[in-house]
Amino acid sequence: MHRIACCCLFFCLCVVFSQQNALAHGGVVEEDDLCVIKVNYLRAHFKVYQPRATGHEQYCEDLPSASESIFVMEYQHDSLSQMPIDFRIIRDVTGKGRFARLEDIYEISDIDSATVFYQPPVIEPDVYAVNYEFIEEGDFIGIVSARDPETGKLYAAVFPFEVGFTGFGYWPIFAGLLVLIQIHYLYMSGRLKRWYGKSSTVVTGFAIFLLLAPPVSFAGDVVVTYTTPDGDPQLNRMHSWILHIEDEAGTEVEGATVEVEGGMPEHDHGLPTKPRVTEELGGGDYKLEGMRFHMSGYWEIVVSVTTDDGTSIVIIPLRL
Amino acid sequence: MRVSASRVVVALAVAIVAVVAWQRWPASPPKWTPVEVAMLRSLWIESLPELPPDPSNAVADSTIAAKFGEQLFFDTRLSSNGGISCATCHQPERRFTDGLQKGQAIGTTGRHTPSIVGTAYSPWQYWDGRRDSQWSQALVPLEDPDEHGTDRAQVVNLIAQDETYRATYESLFGELPDPASSDRVMLNTAFANIGKSIAAFERLVMPTPSRFDEYVRAVVDQDAGSQQRLFDDDEVRGLKLFIGEANCTQCHNGPLFTNHEFHNTGVISFPGDVPDKARVAGVREVLRNEFNCLGIYSDDVEHRCAELQFTRTGSTLTGAVKTPSLRNLENTAPFMHKGQIPTIAEVLQHYNEAPDAMIGHNEAIPLGLSARQLHQLEVFLGTLAAPVAGLSGADGILVEN
Repeated sequence: MHRIACCCLFFCLCVVFSQQNALAHGGVVEEDDLCVIKVNYLRAHFKVYQPRATGHEQYCEDLPSASESIFVMEYQHDSLSQMPIDFRIIRDVTGKGRFARLEDIYEISDIDSATVFYQPPVIEPDVYAVNYEFIEEGDFIGIVSARDPETGKLYAAVFPFEVGFTGFGYWPIFAGLLVLIQIHYLYMSGRLKRWYGKSSTVVTGFAIFLLLAPPVSFAGDVVVTYTTPDGDPQLNRMHSWILHIEDEAGTEVEGATVEVEGGMPEHDHGLPTKPRVTEELGGGDYKLEGMRFHMSGYWEIVVSVTTDDGTSIVIIPLRL
Repeated sequence: MRVSASRVVVALAVAIVAVVAWQRWPASPPKWTPVEVAMLRSLWIESLPELPPDPSNAVADSTIAAKFGEQLFFDTRLSSNGGISCATCHQPERRFTDGLQKGQAIGTTGRHTPSIVGTAYSPWQYWDGRRDSQWSQALVPLEDPDEHGTDRAQVVNLIAQDETYRATYESLFGELPDPASSDRVMLNTAFANIGKSIAAFERLVMPTPSRFDEYVRAVVDQDAGSQQRLFDDDEVRGLKLFIGEANCTQCHNGPLFTNHEFHNTGVISFPGDVPDKARVAGVREVLRNEFNCLGIYSDDVEHRCAELQFTRTGSTLTGAVKTPSLRNLENTAPFMHKGQIPTIAEVLQHYNEAPDAMIGHNEAIPLGLSARQLHQLEVFLGTLAAPVAGLSGADGILVEN
């Protein structure tokens, strides 16, 4: 019973902590280790840097010192890239601190005098970033608003934050202790071992599944081969390919829509160019132009072949 | 007890000496495998292909245009205050850079002055590739209020007023339009022609063989004596790291040590600036620029323009800047697109840590090299120093050596 009570207490504390966090951030919340700003239903990855003070260190909201601060929003929702967005930082004059809401902002009679930074509405198609150098520490509120160009509707996010933030005090240590006690309990009770045993079976099972699952290149019902009329592919040189496409029975595939993407899976990036099929040459041959490789190593060229029967995807591995 | 204590001391001393010896006297330099020799050959200046033609510039390979371009390059009259020329920032004695974080002309420019050496090989100009030819690039600073601060009508007017310039221009391109003419296309054509002349000069600014290139020859010739004479042990190990563990040749490949492409490597923002969006914005600009390869001022009537037609766009290019050449790094500090990093040692340290990018995604992964390995890379990069080849103009401005 005692242990069950302990677990309950721990669970409650966790809930309280996470709730508090969600409240504290206002329009900015942490989700799966990612700091997200919610401008109504529009979401963006939100992060703040103090490059002069702490280099590449990222913050979600509270900032350690009054120094140059760069607020970055990387859109998760495409429509933000077409909306005029403005960004305002005010001193917290609401008296609500971490519980300040949009309604509280509307109640401020003279918002301009409380404003320390204002970036007028601007459409930033790729990523939104502003730079403000805080002169003093204290409590601030950030307000991001975006206007829908079609409906004229204004969306806003409000996030209170502290500059000169000193940390959570002893709470993380306390929480850490609780976690340790819990792990100790689980270990002593032998449950950890059982769980581990189970999960390792699952992992092994998944690995076996992956090994047995057929590679994508054989999943389709077409065979794609290529030749390079300009000579072997060379680094940093634009060249063309001739793709030859046959179905499983060896019949040439004609009249297909062929799209090509490619990249280096080991480096998590694509081709430097956007090649496309410019001409169908007949006999299952398609001219692919705009191929260029800018790094040596392992590349994968992904060819998707769409006919009336559907789309087949073939991956051509290539080492340069 | 006394005996065992002294044994401990002796053992410790032996261990220290062994460690120092291992650090100081490493084994003889590693031999190059056939794969490595192929990689060295690919970086060799002798592997540099013949300069590809620039179909968008009809006078690209004209000597008269190049001489004209050289004069224009150094002419401070091409500025609103009469004090700024291309060479104000692109100083030949500094490998066509200026030693500053950001260029300083009439005002302060947005980024670090890049070198011109070997850029004729690049399909893209500027750190963000917002121009697709040397000639269209050359036009931008003339009209930038922070650079030359002039405009196309004033530039054409200068050519019209200077008898020698006018004669040269007309021998190359035919009659010079009236600078006061309201015909925008005629004015733009003359302005583009001036850019094309400057480009004809810039096409000749090329790197020359360095000690590294001599070393590669020695490797190719299997001349062990010359190899030993040319590179010390740290330089050899630095080169080995460069083409191997340090992943440098992922981007700094080919005889110019650049793939001419755009990569986000998580360089920190410049004080007072927001992080640079770079290529993602640059590619949009080049695609709509009236002086691009597909435009009416391009001499490529067939509009082949493969680079422009097949270029990649989109958010994966956020924060990606063009890979600079690593040849001739001497006298070119500071480094990176806004001169954020003052020394090569710190640049290497940056890649060793590969921090998260402030915007976009850092393509580099932390190297985890030792301080000694970083030093070896640094001394290797020093072997790429060499004079720059340029046009020996009438007044010998660019004659080096």
